[in-house]
Amino acid sequence: MAHIELQEIRKTYKVHERPTGKWSVLKGAFIRNTKIVQALGGISFSANQGELVGLIGPNGAGKSTTVKIMSGILTPDSGTCLIHGRMPWKERKAHVADIGVVFGQRTQLWWDVPISDSFQLLRDIYDIPKGDFQVRSQELALALDIEGLLSTPARQLSLGQRMRCEIAAALLHRPKLLFLDEPTIGLDAVSKLALRAFLKEENKQTGVTVLLTTHDMDDVDALCNRVMVIGHGQLLYDGAFDGLKEQYATYQGQDIDEVIAAMYKELAL
Amino acid sequence: MSRTLKACRSLFIIRVTENLQYRAAGIANSSISIIWSILQIVIFTIFFTLGDATGAAMTLTQAITYAWLTQILWSIVGYFTVDAEIREKVINGNVALDLCRPLDLYAHWFSKTMANKIGRSAWRSAFTLIAAVGVPAALRLSPPVSIEGFLLFLISLCTGALLCVAFAMLMAAVRVGLTWGEGPTYMLESVGMFLNGNYFPLALWPDFMQGFLLFQPFAGLMDIPFRFYLGLLAPSDAFWVIGLQIFWVVAFIAAGRFLLNRKISHLIVQGG
Repeated sequence: MAHIELQEIRKTYKVHERPTGKWSVLKGAFIRNTKIVQALGGISFSANQGELVGLIGPNGAGKSTTVKIMSGILTPDSGTCLIHGRMPWKERKAHVADIGVVFGQRTQLWWDVPISDSFQLLRDIYDIPKGDFQVRSQELALALDIEGLLSTPARQLSLGQRMRCEIAAALLHRPKLLFLDEPTIGLDAVSKLALRAFLKEENKQTGVTVLLTTHDMDDVDALCNRVMVIGHGQLLYDGAFDGLKEQYATYQGQDIDEVIAAMYKELAL
Repeated sequence: MSRTLKACRSLFIIRVTENLQYRAAGIANSSISIIWSILQIVIFTIFFTLGDATGAAMTLTQAITYAWLTQILWSIVGYFTVDAEIREKVINGNVALDLCRPLDLYAHWFSKTMANKIGRSAWRSAFTLIAAVGVPAALRLSPPVSIEGFLLFLISLCTGALLCVAFAMLMAAVRVGLTWGEGPTYMLESVGMFLNGNYFPLALWPDFMQGFLLFQPFAGLMDIPFRFYLGLLAPSDAFWVIGLQIFWVVAFIAAGRFLLNRKISHLIVQGG
């Protein structure tokens, strides 16, 4: 049985608009125009345990909405989504105990306390047995090279250091599924490469499914054995990254970003 | 459930210790408390000496003590704004991260609010208390009326603190999902600020309002504990008065939970 199964997921947002033209500010104070914006127009896909899936698409395409629905934060308007046999938004607590989440632009570490205190807290939150916690935190600290940072408060870390700690924090409870939302945003080349190598190894060792959204095509190229393109709330491509390159590259050895730009253009995204 | 409890306990401890780091902020805040108390005491003194105080429900000494108690315990039972950290999360969308924890959101935020309250008030309360017993005798805080009174004061203060957090949580639930700011929570807050005795002891309000004032929920925050301290409520009243406090705690928790769960199911977190 597939480990992730999405069927016909739809989600719309209400957007308020101010009227334009003369007296618009005044009018806008009394009349509000609401517009319904479609974020997801019926997305379906499935994935198996241990896959490394990249979700790509331009800004505003619906990637984050998809991830938020799958992590139980948003309730879709219609459609079904089963992850480990659960509907994320219906059994939120049970669902999130099995997943790990890293949002590149938000931090989940406690800002003013040492990283090790954050880890202890996560141990209590996820109810990780003491022995396993010891083993796991040491193993992650070693693999991500953060042993020296554990006694530093999160606010004093550089972005690259913090991101490695975030990833460790998200993996402490051995989730079966890991969501990474732009994990390499703002990282230097060394950190990026280290992070990719780690994720690849982690996937091989523990069989964790990784779902990655990113704008960095090198991330996708280096990590993912499967890529999905989302645009206008639809799933436009689902398959190997090489296939995508073949389909849209105009010449051999063309820059990946150019290929993707050509694809977005062709799909009118 | 036990997981939630355990996690909330750790969250509570980590937040309290984090807040205790800010001693300078505590000193700064206590100076506000001290100036405010003295101002209130001056006003009470003018009214009690120049006006006709016969038949007043409180003596001047009691009013002075009430003013000090208000300020010493202000952070715990006088102040029920939505927790700053939670408000920030609501505004910047980090609620999303809290939703990714296998915890009951209400319990999670409740312990966070309580921890921030206690952690932040520790220094402030300590410094204000030192000032309250260190000032000249005419302005000084008096000791509690009796040992029973003091014990009941402590017990009802604990219930009051729970009530305060339960109310702050109700306001947090109101705040979640509002894109248009603090208006509704400010309105609720100012009602509470008047009705808890923060500005003016409830016993000094007109007689015909007394029944209402004692039964409304905000009396349980500071006025009821202070009445035990001053001896305005007899120990024999403890049973029903503290029962009333507990009733309001339960009511606020039920309302807050209901509203928060409803809001969360319709929640939209914008942006990448």
